[in-house]
Amino acid sequence: MNAREEILSRLKPTVPGPAAIGADALLIAPERPFVDATALEEGFVAKLSLPSIAATHDRIDTLADLPAAILRYCIEQGLPPALYLPPDARLSGCDWSPFAVHEAAATEEPVVLAVARCGIAETGSLVFETAPDAPMLPNFVALHHIVLLEADRIVAHLEEATLPGPQPRAHYWVTGVSGTTDIEGTYVRGAHGPRFLHVILVRAALPRR
Amino acid sequence: MSDFGDRVDLALADPILKIAVERTAGTAEAKRALAVDAFPDFEDARDRAAAIKDHVIAHLGAYLEEFEANAIAAGAQVHWARTSDEACKIVIDICKAAGARTVARSKSMLGEEIGLPHALAEAGIERVETDLAEHIIQLADERPSHIIWPAMHKTREQVSLLFKARHRSPHQEETIAAMAESARRELRTQMLGADVGISGANFLIADTGAVCTVTNEGNAELSLVPPRVHIVTAGIEKIVPSMPHAVHLLRMLARSATGAALTQYTTFYTGPRRPGDRDGPEQMHIVLVDNGRTTMREEGLAEMLRCIRCGACMNHCVVFRQIGGHAYGGTYPGPMGAVLTPVLDGLPKSRELPNACTLNGKCQEVCPVRIPLPTLLRGWREKSWREGLEPKTMRAGLGVWAWFARRPALYRLASGSALRAMRVLGRGWIRRLPLAGGWTDHRDMPAPEARSFMAQYKSGRRR
Repeated sequence: MNAREEILSRLKPTVPGPAAIGADALLIAPERPFVDATALEEGFVAKLSLPSIAATHDRIDTLADLPAAILRYCIEQGLPPALYLPPDARLSGCDWSPFAVHEAAATEEPVVLAVARCGIAETGSLVFETAPDAPMLPNFVALHHIVLLEADRIVAHLEEATLPGPQPRAHYWVTGVSGTTDIEGTYVRGAHGPRFLHVILVRAALPRR
Repeated sequence: MSDFGDRVDLALADPILKIAVERTAGTAEAKRALAVDAFPDFEDARDRAAAIKDHVIAHLGAYLEEFEANAIAAGAQVHWARTSDEACKIVIDICKAAGARTVARSKSMLGEEIGLPHALAEAGIERVETDLAEHIIQLADERPSHIIWPAMHKTREQVSLLFKARHRSPHQEETIAAMAESARRELRTQMLGADVGISGANFLIADTGAVCTVTNEGNAELSLVPPRVHIVTAGIEKIVPSMPHAVHLLRMLARSATGAALTQYTTFYTGPRRPGDRDGPEQMHIVLVDNGRTTMREEGLAEMLRCIRCGACMNHCVVFRQIGGHAYGGTYPGPMGAVLTPVLDGLPKSRELPNACTLNGKCQEVCPVRIPLPTLLRGWREKSWREGLEPKTMRAGLGVWAWFARRPALYRLASGSALRAMRVLGRGWIRRLPLAGGWTDHRDMPAPEARSFMAQYKSGRRR
């Protein structure tokens, strides 16, 4: 018997009946933090400001306002106007002329822009999926991670951020900045990944991908 | 004195260790308490978490097959390993086939359990530990002393010396932030340049074939996205039926481990790079490891397979907080380690671990999946007795006690004279007690009442 057959032969069910029925019953009314469904944006922004997340945020009306908002952030932070832009066609209509734009992320990228699919009010998390126009690595080599999020795309709980059906290669939730407590339990910001997270909420819906 | 006894003596004599352990475990305990208080119905949520894990363990074969089919459909390759040796061989063969010289590893207790660091070294493959704590203990050539904070036994001064000796451009300033920055500089290029990335899994999602990792540092993603090959080694008990089940356990895991609502980076990987993707590995391999788990399920330790490796049991353990993790001598320390180590290393080598427990029940009170740890530890004690592993002095002593206990009149006479003898040795506290040096070498023994409970009861003084 090979390893697979031997392991499976010893794992016969210990209770009768198909597994799926019992599995669904375990998800009825799960205990979870209360989220005010009538104030998702306020709830989400309040989470961003928690010391454990320590993200900043800004609000813009339309996508056309995005370059100016990023420039504002760079000036406030004393950063040169250089930016990694993902190959997302929705961003190509913006005027990026104030920036030195990087199309390939280097080992260290001072400022990286990403577009989140949604935000989660329960935890203040940002939700991303990989795709040809949404590489993953730039979001982790960034020092300043700037995330564009449609204000209407904030969901209440973690469950609503999951995708049904076949999954993208990577689906990831970012909750605040990279941190560590590995030396004497002392919290340090920016362990391996981003040290700063800045969320820009856009009022108008983005064009379809 | 046994090996375990020697290690405990060393740990108790170390003036720095207890401070280091207390700093991190104490903070974790306080943060967990706040997170649990802020959560609605945490007790009900623990019931649900235990029920989810029990359901999976009951149907483990079916869920593994479902996971395997979905992972393969997404382009991953799935391997099965009965033992740690089989698991290591699979990993090394994949690394060799990929022509790998360097491997970036994202902290995984299963990797430690199966001895992967050693196997990689034997195969001549350079290993880069990317979690900050794992990096520290790799430089120090030590083993993890905690499953969440593997370097909790190290002080900042010790870390500073290590980094100054080993980093290419070490920190100048003696702050923890500067030390973390030095590790960031040192490891960034090594992670991006590795040939293979190896991780464990916090969850395997049966209905999608996805592998979930959680980190706060972001080192998993930096270690697993750039290399050509991603290898996952996961215990077969890590399965959950679907994403919503994983979500419930993630809420419990983060709160129980660090007191956070969620880890900073929670990632679900499904298969290798897709057409048109600009990053991601060309191959994804998942090694499903048994290593004693089917035996645990068959032999009365199924409840231990609920464990989601949060570390709350050790953070709250009075014994762990005195002796730290290394004294336990196994991969997993603390209460969960004392249950698992006899499975992994054999009871004859580890029978003292279940005895190094006060049975105060604190671990069971905080366990997010309600593992009855004290009951399982008592089970090991009984097994050790039945199999004749307890030392002769212990067997003889208990034999004498049992002989008296079956003869009540004689027992009362004997215990009465023992009480009188003990009161001669001290009033209030006894500093030295013949035959009980194991106790009085380290602390005083309270002197007993003048008469036994039974004697007082009979004379009508107890009501």
